[in-house]
Amino acid sequence: MRGISRRAWLHRTMGAGAVLGSGLWAPSVVAADDDDGQKRCGVPLPIPHTTAGPFGPLHFYFPGPIDGSASPTDGTGTHAEGRDPSTVTNFDGFVGAVDMDFSGTARDTKTGAEAAYKFHTDSRFMIGEFIASDQKRHKGAFAFL
Amino acid sequence: MGPHSYDPGTAPSLLLWTIEIPPGNVHIDLDDGEAALHLDNRCELFDAFTVPNSLNPMHPLGFVSGFLKSMRVRWSGVKRVQTFNNHSTFRGEFLETSATIELKVQTPSTKAPFTPSAQDGFEFIADPATSEVHFAQIGHENNGALF
Repeated sequence: MRGISRRAWLHRTMGAGAVLGSGLWAPSVVAADDDDGQKRCGVPLPIPHTTAGPFGPLHFYFPGPIDGSASPTDGTGTHAEGRDPSTVTNFDGFVGAVDMDFSGTARDTKTGAEAAYKFHTDSRFMIGEFIASDQKRHKGAFAFL
Repeated sequence: MGPHSYDPGTAPSLLLWTIEIPPGNVHIDLDDGEAALHLDNRCELFDAFTVPNSLNPMHPLGFVSGFLKSMRVRWSGVKRVQTFNNHSTFRGEFLETSATIELKVQTPSTKAPFTPSAQDGFEFIADPATSEVHFAQIGHENNGALF
């Protein structure tokens, strides 16, 4: 969720950039509990497709029809290979995705001042089976926020 | 109140803005063309303030823990059915729908060096009636080694 559209910003900056640093924070999924109660030592891996970002490639497609046809929500154009909405690869399961704007009330928690505020979101869920970095099949659910 | 932008960061695997959640937080019924995602009291996301600041490894505007108090996304209202198969890496059957969102998110007050200067705390509560959907879909897919 962001005050400036992720889509609009990435489109404006595509083609720029250096190498994405490896020091970014990682979601804590290592050694997560799997369905059978055993500890998982693998992590989900990203889809191979990349979208150019300002600091390196980003492993996702913008939202749009899965047949890869042109969409106002995807300024990168059409995709003959299809437009996979999952960010997780080696995946068999259900996905939900939404690209929307919405507004509401923002509050300064110190002063109590309130103001109208607008956000854009590209939110998704994935639930099903996937093969993780340990090369084993697991069940899990994920949110792309 | 300044810009705010929430995401879970990028994993060393390069998995983007994705966190693992309890399977019970997702409900999907393709027969009825409905799905829901609910998240409550999640702190594995950051307020990066802007998208470019999130993607910049130096995070010059700061990078502080946010708090997702609650989030409810609901998909319903089937508009179109899409099927696709590239015969090698991706196939799916999806229902293009409408959607709504309810959201309450917070950022605590900050101070240097966590942000360049002190900032008051921020809280946002969405009005679901304002949801303006550009694209929404739910469905089933297979990709990669599980194609």
